Amino acid sequence: MMRLPKVCADIESDIIAAATGEADPATDRRVQEHVGVCPPCGGEFERYRAIDRAAGAWRQAPTPVAALARMRKRLESRLSDLKRRTFTYRVFPSPLGNILIAVSEQGVSLIEYLGRAHTLSQSRLARLAGVEAIEDGAELEALSRELLEYLEGKRTRLDWPLDLRLARSDFHRTVLQTTASIPYGAVMSYAGVACEVGKPAATRAVAQALRWNPLPIVVPCHRVVGTSGSLTGYAGNKIELKQRLLATEGIPTVKAHDEFQIPRDTMYARYPGDDSYCLPTCPSLSTLEHPHQVVFFGSRARAEAAGLQPCTTCRPDLHPLAR
Amino acid sequence: MGQQPFETILEAHHAEIYRYLLRVTARASESDDLAQETFLRAYKAYRALAPDANVRAWLFTIATNLARNHFRAERRRRNAHAAVRATRAETDGTGPEGETLFKETRAHLDRAVARLPLKQRLAFVLRKVHDLDYDAIARNLDCSAESARAHVFHALKKIRQELQAFAPPRMELQQ
Repeated sequence: MMRLPKVCADIESDIIAAATGEADPATDRRVQEHVGVCPPCGGEFERYRAIDRAAGAWRQAPTPVAALARMRKRLESRLSDLKRRTFTYRVFPSPLGNILIAVSEQGVSLIEYLGRAHTLSQSRLARLAGVEAIEDGAELEALSRELLEYLEGKRTRLDWPLDLRLARSDFHRTVLQTTASIPYGAVMSYAGVACEVGKPAATRAVAQALRWNPLPIVVPCHRVVGTSGSLTGYAGNKIELKQRLLATEGIPTVKAHDEFQIPRDTMYARYPGDDSYCLPTCPSLSTLEHPHQVVFFGSRARAEAAGLQPCTTCRPDLHPLAR
Repeated sequence: MGQQPFETILEAHHAEIYRYLLRVTARASESDDLAQETFLRAYKAYRALAPDANVRAWLFTIATNLARNHFRAERRRRNAHAAVRATRAETDGTGPEGETLFKETRAHLDRAVARLPLKQRLAFVLRKVHDLDYDAIARNLDCSAESARAHVFHALKKIRQELQAFAPPRMELQQ
């Protein structure tokens, strides 16, 4: 290429700027004056302008409508698959140690006691295949606040939509759904839950299902105890958490032989399927076919909050249990 | 959350992001894959995005990063040259000389842009086709706004030279 005269070399980048719409008005004017008197630079200006226009013409290039629609469809299906697998989570401190809460589009999916751990990698969520876990503060802030209020006894209900997909089987899901219906401030036995789900012999399987409960506290597996009144177990080895949760709900426990016991003889009892509550000595209770199915309440207030009336035979309203 | 649903974003920007990627990769199947990946990543990061963020510029940044990673991987596989050659083969034979400079330029621009170094190509397409400002391009390319501008100018000069090479000197005589 020929050497440009100095004035042309100096103005070269201004010409590019002016021809491609990148120049300020002063530069524009200077360039116009120059190209008016310098035909070679005028030619350059036109060429750069053509490049700019040709690139601009790409904007109007016809969109391949059918192909794009096909790609959109594929993308949308991949996206909805991703959404199904996506859980947003938050770890927050509580009186029971750090708690991880995770939600999906369908509802609250996981509540996990992390103890002192506080990262996703120490959570069950990280070990689930195909799961996308995204940390999120804002959306889960309200949920964690409600959960804390619940743990402090300031709230007795958590009306959350639940996503039970992390349960390990349909049987587990059924057990969780049944457990979720045990009222606040009441306990039932594992054998009782087994009867309720229609498998009276499956007490141990019920216990396993609750051991893997993905939603402790919200699905109140702490309200399920042994037929002897022993707390038996909770979330592996966290029996003291069970005792604390029950205490918050007004259910007393006594320590006997290194284990916590529910003193059922000092609690109000509900005959299964009945809408009234009794003294534990009520004669109607001795005729039960499945005595394990009795639900015990820590107080009359809790029984009545669950919608029950005092029994007309034993009259717990006239002879309340001494505590 | 005060954010619009992600579907709206998909609706508004999918076609443009696809066309951008098509422009820089020059292969339809690759640009489809990269566009899909762009939106899947965007979905995962969307919640963390500030409510007043410029979603369009943000999507371009994700797409650019993916394109750059893609080319980096390509280069590692030593296939980069094959890709460029394939592009050239596609456009070869479609360039009878037009009557005007504009048509002439338009006919060869594809080829000239495909020959640009990656950063210049990305900067050129972002600026001239998608009209992003230099600050946004700078964020895309991880450089300063001045460098982004320099990339565009170098690209223009190089395209100009390439076109000179394609267009026979006859054109010079006509001027």
